[in-house]
Parts: sequence; structure tokens; C-alpha cells
Amino acid sequence: MRLFRNLAQALRGLRLNKANTFLMTLGVMIGIASLTVIVSIGEGTKSKVLNRITNLGFGPESFSVMSGAGRLFFGRSRNTTSMTLQDADDIRAMPHVTIVVPRQRKRMRIINKKEFTTTRVYGVSPEWQVARGWTVVDGAFLSDMDMDRKRKVIVLGATPAYKLFGEKDPLGKKIRVGQVFFEVVGLLEKKGLTESGYDPDDRALIPLSTSMSRLFRQTHLHSIKVVTTHPGRVKDTMAGVTQILRRNHGLSPLADDDFRFVTPEGIMQWVTESEQALNRMLFLISTVSLLVGGIVIMNILLVSIRERIHEIGVRRCFGARRSDITQQFLFESIFVSLLGGAMGAMLGWTLSTGLKRFDLLPTKITWDPFILAFLFSVIVGLVFGIHPARKAACLNPDETLR
Amino acid sequence: MTVPKVIDIESIYKTYKNEGLETEVLKGISISVGEGDYISIVGPSGAGKSTLMTILGCLGQATSGTYLLDGEEVGELNDRQLSRIRNEKIGFVFQAFHLLPGVSAFDNVMMPLVYCNKTPGDAEERVERSLNRVGLGHRMGHTPGQLSGGEQQRVTIARSLINDPKIILADEPTGNLDSKNGAEIMATFDGLNREGRTIIIITHDLAVAEHARRILTLRDGQIVSDKINETFQESRTSPARATAE
Repeated sequence: MRLFRNLAQALRGLRLNKANTFLMTLGVMIGIASLTVIVSIGEGTKSKVLNRITNLGFGPESFSVMSGAGRLFFGRSRNTTSMTLQDADDIRAMPHVTIVVPRQRKRMRIINKKEFTTTRVYGVSPEWQVARGWTVVDGAFLSDMDMDRKRKVIVLGATPAYKLFGEKDPLGKKIRVGQVFFEVVGLLEKKGLTESGYDPDDRALIPLSTSMSRLFRQTHLHSIKVVTTHPGRVKDTMAGVTQILRRNHGLSPLADDDFRFVTPEGIMQWVTESEQALNRMLFLISTVSLLVGGIVIMNILLVSIRERIHEIGVRRCFGARRSDITQQFLFESIFVSLLGGAMGAMLGWTLSTGLKRFDLLPTKITWDPFILAFLFSVIVGLVFGIHPARKAACLNPDETLR
Repeated sequence: MTVPKVIDIESIYKTYKNEGLETEVLKGISISVGEGDYISIVGPSGAGKSTLMTILGCLGQATSGTYLLDGEEVGELNDRQLSRIRNEKIGFVFQAFHLLPGVSAFDNVMMPLVYCNKTPGDAEERVERSLNRVGLGHRMGHTPGQLSGGEQQRVTIARSLINDPKIILADEPTGNLDSKNGAEIMATFDGLNREGRTIIIITHDLAVAEHARRILTLRDGQIVSDKINETFQESRTSPARATAE
């Protein structure tokens, strides 16, 4: 078939003009590589955030209220001290609230003889375990008694337990947190690293009363986790909590909140928004780079037509129709673009793998960018090849041979 | 017995327009060429030789006049039909060879078959036959860069023969060759004419023109003489001609 014969001629043309072919592939290659990398970073970030949400132990009927203005995990001030146990008690008194967990939090060094590690130390009430649904594999969780008596007891996550005790049983042992000695009474079940490298097991829990009076020596809270009876109650409860906290903190009607909510819904919304922003950027970058790639192909093809004018003339002399020449050059452009796309996809895959391997950025490789790369390559080849191809075909055969 | 006409041109005019300026290059040319004829068209630079070649080769169309090629009126054909005519009925030989660089002699000769409506089943044998005919059967795999000028021109002749055309149009075929290679190329044309091929050579070299049986002289876009070459050796006369006369 004539079409296939023109295809063969196009392949031969590319083989004979290797330097031009290589230069033409560059633009598309870079475009597709950046597209692949950006998509994989986007996917990686998304899965990292989703992982985080799952590891926060949020159910749809719960939310957290954190001390300090800001949004979600991003507090604007680190030194807000307005949130107190009184707030937690007032929230507990609200209707439709089942569990309230006031928390303090600090990153501290914990030491067992010569072994030491730095971990997140939380002062929590015993309800924490119920609210998080996190089982204790050995020993017991903090009890009301521990709370009342401000006992110096600690429940370890799997990571600090391993770092301090290795394979040995840590139960009953004394460890030092800051300057205070604690007895290990329980071990949390191991959750394991998330795909993004976040370690939920890297934590230690002590009674809130102990952390307030003996360890952190502060009365203000880091956050309060609230569990309601039903997901539908979350919104009303949040409104009530806002009222209570504003009143308790003595905020004037004009003042901003000095606390912020973290809800599963809020996180999802934030993820969606970031994803959309990322997608817009992705679209812009890949469009620009592919546009540049396309223009490179077009210009080099135009120059190459000048160089190959005799070839076009001879082909026309020996019976090539205008459509044959158009097809040949269009095929060349599409081939070059596909070749660039394939090389770009490979380069992008390598870069994405490298970024993840060396822990520089979270990436996740999916099929989407490769399908996109294929489609974009064909489109770029077609769109930017048509002008040079038609120009070549419209050359007058007798002029091309002079 | 009359010889069938391959080319019949009747008062052809060709005017080029360039930025409002009109230049009349061909001024009422009439030629008829019979099958098996061997013609050379001579004339000084600017006489209109190349333009006439363009029209004869169906690469461009005349401003006015009629051109019958093998019985078909060329002036009324569209690009697609003209392409078919060039593919099937005309074999071109150029001064600058115009072989595809980097492509083997075999593939260069094969090229016109790419544009046939249907590639013949015996394409490869035809290419081999054609290259053997010009004495290059042993260099089929060589690219133009590996061939001498004379050999390259012989490849272009083989290429022009591949579709068994009605006429062979050669534009200054020895222009880029030394005298020895030039003589060899002309001997090839002479041989082809003896086999009955119609050959038209456009040249400004009188020694080349002398090989033809009929010499047309072009000057200022008109044919000023159309004479039978006295020195044309009878032995060269094509069988068709000999019978006709």
C-alpha cells in the first residue's frame, strides 16, 4: 500500500539524517521527561498526604482542634498557650460528644542507659487509645489511676522501643525522658512506615497529668481530639467548640481564632486543592515544554526541507504525488516525536525512580504519564509536522532540481 | 509505414511572471517525436532549453499550446495524473545525478517503483536487470558516495529505465563528467536507442548533440533549426527507425 511505502521512505529519511533526527527528538524528549517526572511527583505527594491522613487515625465522626491560628497542620504561631484543660472539660460537656482527648506534645530525647533516641512524646488522657483505636501488644495502656496519681509511666511506640531495647523486653524497665525517669508499662502495636517514609510508630505516650506537672511543666495543651456520636454532628460540634474556646480565651468579636480545626474533610479539601494547583502547573509546564519541542521539530524540518530539496524534486520527477511527499514528511515528524516521547518517558521514569531512591522527593510511577506521553507525541508530531510537510509537497518539481 | 508519435507539441508558449514582470521564455514551439527517435536539443544559455525540458517532462505546464504525450493531453491533467505520467512514461537523467545520498544504488534504482500504483511483483529482478544493463550489477550495494561520477550517472540511467518509460529525458547528462566517462555515458544512450528507446538529450555541448539522429537548435525561445544529423552512423539507427525508413 502506498501509505506503508511512504512510511518506509520516512523511516529511511530519518535514518539518513541522524543528526537532524537527534536534534528534533531533544525538545519532545525534555518535554515528556518533565511531564513524566511532574506527574509522578504529583502522585507521590498525593499518596503521601493520603497516608498521613490515614495515620492520623481520623474517623469521619471526629476532628481535632489545635492550638494556634492557621490552617490544618500549619500553625501560624508556635507559642499560643491559650488552650487549657478547662477547654477540654467544657467540650466534653457538650451534647453529641463521646470522647475528648486533650494532648500535649513535645519532641524529646529518651534514654535507656547508653542507648538514646529522639521521639515525639505525648501527654494524653487514657481515652486516647479508644479514640485512636490503637491496640497495645504488651503490657497495658495508661489508666485513670496513672492519670490521677500523675504516675511516671510510659507507653512506647515500636520505633523507640526497638532503638532503646533492641529485641529485649522493655516492660518494667526504667527509661529517662529529659531529666525524669519513667517506667515502661506498655508497647503499642507496630504500624510500620508509610509509603512516604512517615513513621507513626515513632512516639511515646505518658499521662497528661504527668506531662503537665512533672515533664513539660506547662498547663496549656497542644491539641484536643474530639469524637462525636455521628459524622453529621461534626459541623455543629465544631461551631459549638468555636464558641466555647473564643469565650474561654476571652477573644473579642473582632479577634481571629487562636485555634484551628483539623478535620478529615478539611484535609481532603486541602489535598484536592493542592492537587488541582499542581495539575494546573503540570498542564502549563508540559504544554510549554511540548510547544517548544514542537517548534524545534517544525524548524528543523523546515531547514531539512531546504537541505533535501533535490530529494523532494527527484521523488516528484519519478512519480511522487504531493500527498506522498506530505505523508513522508508528516510520518517523519510523528516518528521523531514518538521517538522523543519514548526517550523522554524513559528519562522521566529514571529520574522519578532516582528521586524516590535517594529520598529527594516522593514520587509514584503510574501509567498515566506514559499514555499521555504517547498521545502528546503523536499530537505534537502531527500539528508541527503539517506545515513543513505541506511546504515540501507544494514545492514546484522543476524549481527543486535547479 | 508511419512511426507512432510519442510526443506531439503544438505552438507551446511559456511565460514566467515575477513581481509583475512577464518574461516569455518559449515562443510557439512545435515538435513531434516518433517512437525510437534520438533527439538532441541544443542552444545557448537562456534559449529556453530547461523550460522546454520542464514541459516535456511534465514537471511544469505551458502557458498555452497543446502537448500530447503518448496520446494523452498533458495540459488538462491534475497533479495526481501528472505524477502517474512521470512515473510510467518518462525516465529522467540529470546533470547533477540527483541520487538519494546514503542510499544504495539498488534502492536508488528501486525508488520510482515506490510511487507506482502497484509495486510489480518482480521489482527486485527488474532493479537487478536495470543495473546489469548499465554494467553496475556488481555494485548494487554501493552508495553514491562510493561510486565515481560516471558510475553515478549510470545508476541514474538504470533508475530512469526501471519503469520501462516511453521516453528518456536527459538534461546535460555528461555535464559533470570527464570526457572518458562522458563518452561511456553517451555510448550507453546510443545502445539504448539501438534497442528502440526514445531519447531526448538537452545539451549545449555539440559533441554530445552529434550522437543524436536529429538535432534541434533553440534560440530565444524558438526552434531555429531542426535537422537530421549527417554524421549519425547508420549502424546506430534504431531498428524501429530503420524499418520506418
